[in-house]
Amino acid sequence: MAVAEPWPPLPRPPFATLREHRRVGGDSLVFVSEHLGATLLVWLLVGIALALPATLYLLQANLGAIADEWRGRPGFSVYFEVGADIDQAHALQRDLLALPDIDQATVVTPEQALDEFRGSVAVADALELLGENPLPASLRATLADGVPTARLNGLAERAAAADAVDEVVVEKLWLQRLAALSAVVDRLAWMLAALFGVGAALITSASVRLAIEGRLEELRVQRLVGAATAFIRRPLLYLGAIYGLGGGIIAAMLIAAALSALEGPLGTLFDSYGSKLKLDWMAPPFMAGLLGASVILGLAGALLAARTRLKSLAVA
Amino acid sequence: MGSVEFQRVTKRFENGHEALHEVSAAFAEGSFAFIEGHSGAGKSTFLRLLLGADAPTRGNILVNGVNIAGLRARRLPRYRQHIGVVFQEHHLLGHRTAFENVALPLRVAGMRERDIGRRVRPVLEKVGLLDKERFLPAQLSTGEQQRVGIARAVVTRPKLLLADEPTGNLDPALAANVMRLFLDFNSIGTTVIVASHDHALIDAMAKRVIELRQGRLIRDSDPPLRPPGAERTASTRTEAAF
Repeated sequence: MAVAEPWPPLPRPPFATLREHRRVGGDSLVFVSEHLGATLLVWLLVGIALALPATLYLLQANLGAIADEWRGRPGFSVYFEVGADIDQAHALQRDLLALPDIDQATVVTPEQALDEFRGSVAVADALELLGENPLPASLRATLADGVPTARLNGLAERAAAADAVDEVVVEKLWLQRLAALSAVVDRLAWMLAALFGVGAALITSASVRLAIEGRLEELRVQRLVGAATAFIRRPLLYLGAIYGLGGGIIAAMLIAAALSALEGPLGTLFDSYGSKLKLDWMAPPFMAGLLGASVILGLAGALLAARTRLKSLAVA
Repeated sequence: MGSVEFQRVTKRFENGHEALHEVSAAFAEGSFAFIEGHSGAGKSTFLRLLLGADAPTRGNILVNGVNIAGLRARRLPRYRQHIGVVFQEHHLLGHRTAFENVALPLRVAGMRERDIGRRVRPVLEKVGLLDKERFLPAQLSTGEQQRVGIARAVVTRPKLLLADEPTGNLDPALAANVMRLFLDFNSIGTTVIVASHDHALIDAMAKRVIELRQGRLIRDSDPPLRPPGAERTASTRTEAAF
């Protein structure tokens, strides 16, 4: 039921709200440009607050990818004695491939292993000093789809009983450790995201609050001439969104700088796990997520400031 | 369209101060009245209650028969869009030009830019400031600032015009100009209520006077009866007073 009013509401022309958004957007950019020093400070604070959890998220995504990659094809590696006949390795390969539990069994000859090692500059010189190939033949076997990993130990024991086998390594423990580490980083990233996200929102809130205090008279006059709360709040929300967006861009720049410094050592670490580091921070989904989250945090901060301050705003 | 009625309105603030006590008064549509009284008599509270800036502790304030004390907070902005308010201190936005200050209520109402120009310039012309539309308030004299405030109050063609000590900072000649503007708007049907403690001005205007003292209504006098040609005589008296 409509509440009676002394006078009917003034008719609003079509697209009035759209025009208002355009005008307020322009005014907000002017305001930011006129207070560039303070704005840059806010952007930096928000950017730093967002950069750490976002970087952790990227690293976690890569760690998770390694774990997933290996989790998808659990198996074991068989190392033969140095100097063992390669036919013994192929015999075990045939033996394993005949089992329904085994999907793949790949033999790596000592020569192939040596070539791989030569690819690594760090050990190439050392290998030259030895004169002869010290590397054994090896075989890597992976389980067929749907075979439980509990079967790994039995299969490994069977392989270990074969001729000329020196050692069998079940790729399980390190995988469990990696998965655990990935889970820790994941949890840490979310905790830091929540903590620093609140921090970013509070920074924005404090900055918008300052802006409100600076234009208190204007807001009071707006209320005096009949501006609704949405009208008064709109420029503040735009300001919060601009603070958040700028902070997100700064965060992206900080992440780029940090990752370019970390890419080398991290790449080596990931290579050792047979995985490629994919720090794809420019990927549209990641950037959209980062900037979207930063804008939302900025809006949340502005909304908080507007709600708390405008509630007690008196008419001029 | 602009009738107002106070029904035994009391306003007591949280500190216990009673700014208004059982005040009753009615203002017909298109009327002109002064609220007179010394500082602290309750004049500003009277106007603030009417504006919806404060709520009465007791009593009803009927505007066009609707009790505005019962209006929800989100309805108040729409209500205020029909009211023009003039303050002694002008309350202009210092970083906005005269044009922008006057245009503010129209922007709040969502009016198009070209329509805003069409509405603002005639009003600025009416108050004699068309040539200073790009001036900032600081570049205007006190009287000019007051006229910008008046222009802002009337640009929406309000049904109710409230003025709180509108001539307090003005010399007599400027005060007379302001009153002439109020009379002009009153002549086209706007209900005008002016709070003032300027006896000379009030006497010169020869309008209805509601006198408050310590929050109580002590006098509600109709304008004096005038012989034929009274308007002319009143104008002459107004001029003479300044």
